[in-house]
Amino acid sequence: MNRRNGGTDGGIRARAAARLTRGIPLLAWLLGALLAAILESWFGRELADLLDLPRVPVLFGFEYALNKPQLIPATLAFLLLVYGVPLVLGARLLRAPANAIARALADRAPAVSVLVHLALVYAVLHLWTDLSDYRLIVVKITLIAVMLTLSLNVVNGYMGEFSCSHPGFMALGAYAGSLVTIVGFTKSQMFGPPLLPPALGPYLFPLALVIGGAVAAVGALAVAIPSFRTRGDYLAIISLAFTFIVKSLIENLEAVGGPRGLRGQPDWANLPVVFACTVLCVGVINQFVRSIYGLALNAVRDNEMAAEAMTINTRRTKMIAFLFAAFWAGVAGVLFAHVLRYVNPGTFGLQQLAEVLAMMYFGGLNSVVGSIVGAVSINLVSEMLRPLEIWKWVFIPLLLILVMIFRPTGLIAFREFDPLALVRPRDGGGGRGTPRGEGR
Amino acid sequence: MKNVRFFAVLFAVLCLAALPAAGQKTPVLKIGINAEITGDIPKVGEATKYAAQMYVEDVNKAGGIEVGGKKYRLELAIEDNEAKAESAAKAATKLITVDEVIAIVGPQASKQAVPAGEVCNNYKTPMISGWSTNPNTTKDRPYVFRACFLDDFQGPALSIFASQEYKFTKAAVLYDVASDYPKGIAEFFKKDWEKRNGPGSVVAYESFTTKDTDFSSQLTKIINSGADFLFTPQYYNEVPLIVQQAKQLGWKKPILGSDSWASDELVKLCGKDCFGHFFVSHYASAGAKGATKEFIDRYKAKYGSIPDDVAALTWDAIGLIGAAIRNAGKLTGDIKKDREAVRNALAKTKDYPGITGTISFPPGSGDPIKCANIVKINDKGEFEFYKSVCP
Repeated sequence: MNRRNGGTDGGIRARAAARLTRGIPLLAWLLGALLAAILESWFGRELADLLDLPRVPVLFGFEYALNKPQLIPATLAFLLLVYGVPLVLGARLLRAPANAIARALADRAPAVSVLVHLALVYAVLHLWTDLSDYRLIVVKITLIAVMLTLSLNVVNGYMGEFSCSHPGFMALGAYAGSLVTIVGFTKSQMFGPPLLPPALGPYLFPLALVIGGAVAAVGALAVAIPSFRTRGDYLAIISLAFTFIVKSLIENLEAVGGPRGLRGQPDWANLPVVFACTVLCVGVINQFVRSIYGLALNAVRDNEMAAEAMTINTRRTKMIAFLFAAFWAGVAGVLFAHVLRYVNPGTFGLQQLAEVLAMMYFGGLNSVVGSIVGAVSINLVSEMLRPLEIWKWVFIPLLLILVMIFRPTGLIAFREFDPLALVRPRDGGGGRGTPRGEGR
Repeated sequence: MKNVRFFAVLFAVLCLAALPAAGQKTPVLKIGINAEITGDIPKVGEATKYAAQMYVEDVNKAGGIEVGGKKYRLELAIEDNEAKAESAAKAATKLITVDEVIAIVGPQASKQAVPAGEVCNNYKTPMISGWSTNPNTTKDRPYVFRACFLDDFQGPALSIFASQEYKFTKAAVLYDVASDYPKGIAEFFKKDWEKRNGPGSVVAYESFTTKDTDFSSQLTKIINSGADFLFTPQYYNEVPLIVQQAKQLGWKKPILGSDSWASDELVKLCGKDCFGHFFVSHYASAGAKGATKEFIDRYKAKYGSIPDDVAALTWDAIGLIGAAIRNAGKLTGDIKKDREAVRNALAKTKDYPGITGTISFPPGSGDPIKCANIVKINDKGEFEFYKSVCP
């Protein structure tokens, strides 16, 4: 085949695709996605029957593609009809009104605009997970992974140290939060009757989250004090030791179940709670890394001595960032414990560490978007390839190796995430969102 | 416009290809397998899968399973839980809500079985773990069962064996204080032994920490204590060190162990030093008779290896589910009602002739009543069935 020809073809197609999607603001895409989700919840089952699929494909039809190849055409047709066409058509048809709304919102109240977008994202997730509880648990675990990855990125990406203590922080958070909810609000065999009326529980759950985070941060202090006198490999080793210490500490604490784990967390980590925590985590960490602290952190990473000379209190900066990251890992731990409603010290070992590290390096260092992309893609790919069993663990590492070869810092590294730029209209008109961050 | 036409044609082709190839509809019952196929214990997942597949093939070859005068074909839905707690919960949710299985076998390891049990109990789906010994797996969960005996039973079983078989009165215990399993069994054993032989009859109760390799000081104390036998509920990689060091220090009395001894590696690492000692096991491959022998032979012919205790327990677990389905009376086709019926039949299981022993579930509990097998390591280094001990 003629190479030039192929190139031109590709060019035309790319240009056509660009023409099809040009000028569509995020708002319109979200509305399109909402349309797709509504369509699926209304007609999904009927359409699946019509196409002779056993049921609505749960995770984009991968379970059929990998198990029953004869169903691939029907699955593709389903995906195209339910997701593809409504998404693109909806986004395209709603382009003009969405742009107008986006502009109006962005001009008057950018914060409201962000909130509207978030509400739409939640609505899409809610409808989509409403159809299948399997989707629900996948989404919840994925959102928790986003929090973990992002908080690790603060240390390993923005601060440039290699910390291995995240499973430890997560464990501290998980156990502390579980103890608060189990001792406080449930009747358990280990701790007896609840201290407080259980009806209050769901309202005080945020308290458990904060306590879990705070305990993790206190644990981080224990790593930070000795290890920040050193740099590089030493922190890695001390933090790895910390993970092991936490694990064996819990294993030897009979009061919290020892190696048998702790069971009976109340079922409070539902989708709204997990979603709200994740949004809060992403928002706060994003503000943090774009603030003067984040910039100071980058300065410390690039050259600690120069940063010191520029009057940055490097020790304090590092300490704050480390405790901050640990706090969010702890919160993620509390949520994790309450989604599974069981924790076991064995969960917070090297495998957990390897997974978080993989998600972070896959997504990209020093980048909030990168962490989100990394956590979501590794989680979803891992879930979609489930039927491959052992081959999954050939495919995913291969993916990681390829990313490391072609993009050594990760898919979307060193990029600033500006929510205001993301939500601005796309038809050339103003809006107050800063244009930086896009197209860089 | 060219593009639009291209996509339209593509779409039409897809739709045509998607037209149903009308298949025959024999009623099918799905059983879920939630196993550790990847992760740090892949052999466990493999044995689970093999045993379950063998069972289902058997049933289908015989024309399916008969419930209320109607025959159903069995089908397996196998999910890998990667030996991770959250993945096990996801796999269980998927099996229940997506694959709509009637019952689930596994996960095997407690770290996975406890959270998966939570999911199964919430969705009122019967689950049976072959191998999980953590009390939390089944506690307060009417829909969760297990096929193995619990740790708190192994200690007493050995204590009965040592008192009745050898009339021993003085016991020594050596265990790893940092590991849940040995510590638990050691405590249960001590309690039961002192109940039988009076306080102070455990003359040495020595401990060490995981990864220790030198036990000479503890063993010297044990030898000097004048104990009749040594009980060490350790894993197969630690047992050889203990046994060999004890022998070098002049210990000639029997050494007893728990089900964690049961691995082919034990004899490879330990050699002749371990011959003649005993341990509790779920089942023994050498010297097996009847249905157990038949299972072992067929498994070996099919997969080329001797089935381990996971395979045997999985075989019994799925067999229990099969029996429960048969006894469920009549299946309605409404999966929720059918699961309820299967769970009720499972809870009523009485004297099910499993290959790891006769299994009954006491009312209100998912932990079976069954006998323990005492296994002797014979002169050829095989695990030979020695005696069955019932509580």
